[in-house]
Amino acid sequence: MRSRVHRHMASVLPELFDEQPAAMAYLAVAGPLGEAEKKPVLPPEFNWRDYTVMLLHVAAEIEHSLMVQYLFAAYSMGGPQVPDELRKKVRGWQEIILGIAKEEMGHLVTVQNLLTSLGGPINLDREDYPWGSDFYPFPFTLRRLTRESLAAYVVAESPAKWTGDLAKKVKTDAEVATGKTVNRVGELYGRIDAILGNREHIPDELFHAETLPYQASWDEWGRGYTRGERGQDAGNVETVKSPELLVFGVFSRDSARKALHEIGEQGEAVGADEQDETSHFKRFLGIYAELAELPQGKQDLVARPIAENPVTAHRLNESVVVQYAARTVTTNPITDPGTALWGHLFNLRYRMLLTDISHAFRLAGPLDNGGVLTGRGALVHRAFAEMYNLRALAGRLVELPLDKDKPDGTRAGPPFEMPYSLELPDRDRDRWLLQRDLVEASRLLTDQLLETNPACVGDPYVVALRESDRRASEQIEHILDRKGCTG
Amino acid sequence: MTAILELRILPPLAIGRLGAATEPMDNYTAELDPDEPLAPRVLVPAPTLRVDRTSGEIVDDEVPEELRFTDGHGKVKPVAPFVEVWALTEELVLRPLTMELLRANKVEPKDVRWRTRVGNHKIERRTYDLKDRVDADTGWFTDHGEHALTGRCANFLADKTLPLGHVRYIKPTAEYPGIRLRFTPAGGYVYGSGGMIGEHDPNVVDALYDSTKGTWRGHVDKPGDPRLTIPNSIYAGDDGPHGTWISRGYLDDECDGLVDVELTVGGRKLTAYGRIGAGPPAYAPDSVPVRTIADELDQALFGPRAGDHDTPEDAHKVAEEVLRRALESVRLMNTAVMNGNTVDGRVDAASTMVRQDSADTGRTFEPIMAPSLVDTAAVFALHQDVLAALRSGTAPWFADVLRDYDEVGDLTAKGRRKMPALMRGADGRSLALTRRQVDLVRKAARQEIFRQGQGADESGGPG
Repeated sequence: MRSRVHRHMASVLPELFDEQPAAMAYLAVAGPLGEAEKKPVLPPEFNWRDYTVMLLHVAAEIEHSLMVQYLFAAYSMGGPQVPDELRKKVRGWQEIILGIAKEEMGHLVTVQNLLTSLGGPINLDREDYPWGSDFYPFPFTLRRLTRESLAAYVVAESPAKWTGDLAKKVKTDAEVATGKTVNRVGELYGRIDAILGNREHIPDELFHAETLPYQASWDEWGRGYTRGERGQDAGNVETVKSPELLVFGVFSRDSARKALHEIGEQGEAVGADEQDETSHFKRFLGIYAELAELPQGKQDLVARPIAENPVTAHRLNESVVVQYAARTVTTNPITDPGTALWGHLFNLRYRMLLTDISHAFRLAGPLDNGGVLTGRGALVHRAFAEMYNLRALAGRLVELPLDKDKPDGTRAGPPFEMPYSLELPDRDRDRWLLQRDLVEASRLLTDQLLETNPACVGDPYVVALRESDRRASEQIEHILDRKGCTG
Repeated sequence: MTAILELRILPPLAIGRLGAATEPMDNYTAELDPDEPLAPRVLVPAPTLRVDRTSGEIVDDEVPEELRFTDGHGKVKPVAPFVEVWALTEELVLRPLTMELLRANKVEPKDVRWRTRVGNHKIERRTYDLKDRVDADTGWFTDHGEHALTGRCANFLADKTLPLGHVRYIKPTAEYPGIRLRFTPAGGYVYGSGGMIGEHDPNVVDALYDSTKGTWRGHVDKPGDPRLTIPNSIYAGDDGPHGTWISRGYLDDECDGLVDVELTVGGRKLTAYGRIGAGPPAYAPDSVPVRTIADELDQALFGPRAGDHDTPEDAHKVAEEVLRRALESVRLMNTAVMNGNTVDGRVDAASTMVRQDSADTGRTFEPIMAPSLVDTAAVFALHQDVLAALRSGTAPWFADVLRDYDEVGDLTAKGRRKMPALMRGADGRSLALTRRQVDLVRKAARQEIFRQGQGADESGGPG
């Protein structure tokens, strides 16, 4: 995926690729909004609409990748080693990072709406690790939360003009984690906005308002989180405000640009008040400042000792090492057979989540306040259910050993490995057959966990998950018996 | 000698259920099936005290082979609770009062005196006329026969009374020596007002209320009266002029009140009292509402905040129980209708929170959740999945979507969508859990991540 996109970028701006570290090249071409000398350039083999769709695909991958890395960092936090006096703080930090990950989910879904409105295919794909890209803020790596990994997130979400001693310190820490200069994500949206803002590039008729019933809406995906004004409510942790989930429907040029502007601003606080605490940048920086105040020994106790880039058994004897500038990125195979089963179950439910979201985009919601309902609502609910499953499974994986020979050694952590494909079949009935396949695969895994792993016999979660799968199959069979849901 | 210092009636509150069958309902518990944790609770028969109708003695306490909620002829079995007398003895120990303990204190079962006073003040709650109170008083008794709870009311027709059930001092025996009283509620009938509809009304079994004396028949809740219930006009009635709701003059045979017990030991008169009440039969006995009287009592006892004595395990159990009850509630709902979705083109198809919000505030009739999301099967599956995930021992993540007690009138989209959703509290606004329930879920949410071995590999999960 990366190399295919890369070909086009390099062909557009070879001089930038020559002059700057490759990682900076693509983002540099966009430049901050309003700089006339950095107008977008159309690469060969494209027209403007298609090019916009490609950039939105890149944006979707960035949002997806950031979300997964933030989730991994958040899930790593906690454990019995956290000193009592830090627990309240650590739980608060975790809640903040989980909140940011939820907001990234909103960004990801909004980008799908932009794609749908322009008539492009949605994109929930991303590269597996370890990998890096010229277009992404830093090489995708699943790391436990440390001051350095946190620094990389701060820099990735930082505003264009962030300088000063603190900025320097954070950037140095970020380089320790990533081995390279960390890029900012906001510029990509600036680039897309510059194209969308130009009627000659994208005429009005290319925004398809009639796709709204297929797009994700805040009403469906917001789940009681705030819209518009983050910070009104205390969330799960008293001192942490609940996230602001931005999901925008796109039906015109204005709505498209507003969506881009809002999700860009939620990341960087572009042009926002310095004291504004709502951006991801500010929130990450707040945690960084508090964490950096702790002595190194205590910083290490904030997260569980979990492996970097855990991978499941299909790479059992193969530890992939990739060199990124000054840093080596390594995958860590899960060799403990029991843990590996949990890892596979995690990957499968992750695939089910992505499939549910993708499938929901194929079905229209009702145009008024009711009438005949499609399977769309059920799929949205199932997507949320899979998020809850991933949280539950991650909770288990951060406690289980990575290495079969070191039961007290490094813990595994959630692998977040991508499926071989996210393509959905064209026919609705076939999409439900795929859903049935995934549920059956899950049942095979839960049966295996319950029957072959003595530690899991009677495990309340696995027993409940198996029952939930059984009920899900019944629903899917019901749909299949009626020759498919409408839509 | 084990001298009795004080008496207690336990449980201090016993709630019966109406039913017209001769035999009361057997005892049972509602259990989870470990192999199907997402399935409804299973009702399991439990040891049941069976009372001989003639002697008033307990004859056995066997476990019934099967549970039946009716007598097989359309009559519901009443739930008839026992209350027990316990004694605080000189060792400062609370123990059941038995024949042996009585003997040790030189008294006998016939020295134990009982009295029961119950009432049904539903009409008076509407008319504010004290003559509309229905009250029953057994007077003091020591025998083991049935004592009818005969409801009398100044505004009843001559010679008419309202049967509110009966109480019976169970005769202690060598095998069942405890001092008990049993409350058997009434049949669950509806009564009417005499003079106009009365015996012709198929809904009522008898006419008791004298419409020439009292105002209940034809009563209308007056708008603006600050004493009105919210919502008002919650009585059987018919449309009247100017949008009024005119009472048909019905009354039921529910009641609540006090059981007093008295015993003189060594010249000292000891007394105790307990409360009894009767509600309608349970038609979903394997389900528990999200907020119950037990939750209110729990809050009254322990306060609105989770304390140090509430362990993370307790808190997690509360979170799981809340979720299970939510699942059980969804099972009984048509969520698409309750959400205010259009039904076959009809707007406002049923009495819902959406109608309530529109009626109380004049706001537009607007569904609560996104209409696409509220297919009942889909909502039910979602709740099952949440419950499944919670059983992993993972920290509850939904505390931030629980409705706080001071958010019940929040009519924003977000406010209306908080949990529990689509249901009304006693104040006419959206239902909230008790403050203590919410705080316990939040406590679980704050603390779980520091535990080790949440999984089956160590502790076997939260249990």
